[in-house]
Amino acid sequence: MTKHEQEVLSLLKNNARISVEDIADSIGVTTATAKKLVKKLENDHTIIRYTTVINEDKMNAECGKVKALIEVRVRPEKSRGFTGIAKRIARHPNVIDHYLISGQYDFLLIVEGKNLEEISRFVSEKLASIENVQSTATHFIMKTYKEKSVLIDADDELERLAIQP
Amino acid sequence: MSIEFSRVLDQIPPSGIRKFFDLVIGSKDIISLGVGEPDFVTPWGIREEAIATLEQGATSYTANAGLLECREEIVRYLKERFNLSYNAKTETMLTVGVSEGVDITMRALLNPGDEVIIPEPGYVCYHPLVTLAGGVPITLDTSANHFIPDPKELEKIITPRTKALVLCSPNNPTGVVIPKETLEAIAALSKKYKFWVITDEIYAELNYEGYTSYASLPDVKDRTVLLSGFSKAFAMTGWRLGYICGPEALVSRTLKIHQYSALCAPIIAQYAAIEALKHNLKAVEEMRKSYLLRRNFFVKKLNEAGLPTPMPSGAFYTFSSIKHTGLSSEEFALNLLKKERVAVVPGNAFGVCAEGYIRCCYATDMDQLKEAVLRIKRFIKGLK
Repeated sequence: MTKHEQEVLSLLKNNARISVEDIADSIGVTTATAKKLVKKLENDHTIIRYTTVINEDKMNAECGKVKALIEVRVRPEKSRGFTGIAKRIARHPNVIDHYLISGQYDFLLIVEGKNLEEISRFVSEKLASIENVQSTATHFIMKTYKEKSVLIDADDELERLAIQP
Repeated sequence: MSIEFSRVLDQIPPSGIRKFFDLVIGSKDIISLGVGEPDFVTPWGIREEAIATLEQGATSYTANAGLLECREEIVRYLKERFNLSYNAKTETMLTVGVSEGVDITMRALLNPGDEVIIPEPGYVCYHPLVTLAGGVPITLDTSANHFIPDPKELEKIITPRTKALVLCSPNNPTGVVIPKETLEAIAALSKKYKFWVITDEIYAELNYEGYTSYASLPDVKDRTVLLSGFSKAFAMTGWRLGYICGPEALVSRTLKIHQYSALCAPIIAQYAAIEALKHNLKAVEEMRKSYLLRRNFFVKKLNEAGLPTPMPSGAFYTFSSIKHTGLSSEEFALNLLKKERVAVVPGNAFGVCAEGYIRCCYATDMDQLKEAVLRIKRFIKGLK
């Protein structure tokens, strides 16, 4: 990846709404070049989607949503290992994130639902019922302290002196 | 009863920046481009180490020169990053920021009437500290040479009384990095005329097009004093920790003053510095990259707004000419503050040669920079 591409990504990662003009000025290229760089990163799926970091505790309190972290132990399939089962699980709309992990469990899922019942139902009816799933452990998320590198409810920063030599 | 204070002190004019500071303090809702420090807080790993050290009861004095472990880390870091070679025990000591380093270096070097050449525009502390140490500050105007000290001009003002030259690269307030060839020419002069070079490299990590430390040049060590510290690179301004590296004859003398006037640098800052050097160079690089992007953005916008601004190769300052407005730098800064509530530092704070310029610090977030530039543009339009 080129230096300019890395710079574009760091700008967009910090602020997905930054304009192409501002990207161009920040990395020292023309607007046309900046546009091309962004397009290239979109086309090769380095940039998958532009999204928003939300204080979910606030949102969920109003919209009534719950999130859980689920560990899943799986018996791999002879021919395809974990991939086939992973695809079956990841397609469920309740599943937000899905990772293959080392340690006692094999999969780590972040799952979202309307309420506890919806998630419980997902676990018992959709997840545990898959033939190769051997066991699951569900942890409901109670409070978010940090999301996508952003501290939620961070203390206000102290002010700097306005004029210094 | 007459109360007389130090005459030398009373000769020193009050800091230009101080006057402006009092005005800014009273203003509300301003965007400040007048700061001289990072907009990051110290990386958490460093802060946490300091907390842990405090919990363990590190509240005592340290050796006058500072914890040996801290000096050893500094020496190792300087070797790796800038190819410098110093002995941690005899050629390195910790100071309360670079400011103390400048002060005690001048006091260790100067006899009454000794001249110290100071390139201008330059940082505010050199002149007064030379004067307080009994020396005579001599200005080297760099404004006609893109703010780079010109060796030819330098040679013209060297006299038998010339004791030292101060270099600050990357420079505050101009952001200029002195090219290697110029440093080499200066080194040749230092050898020929036998004067010290005091090289203030506090912004060394914040360079965007490469960097050579003056102290890394061959054959300069016995006449070179390196001053640096943790404030800018590690976002540790409030910790007050700097260091002096130089020949033993010099360091043993600055240490002699330091042991009476400061005793030692704060112990917590010293432990934090060890952690900073061991595990936080990546954070320095991340911050540097972030300044770089904002530099490009801000310089482009300032030029578009009608303030001729060269692209600085280091630090986090821009230095723009306001000569075409017909205002003095103080008038410009004052009116900009009153009319548009943007605070910048008038150039004249950095010497007579810096009249006609303003310094802005771009270590502030992009939205603020954007808004500030809009306001500056509107201000300049309103002048016509």
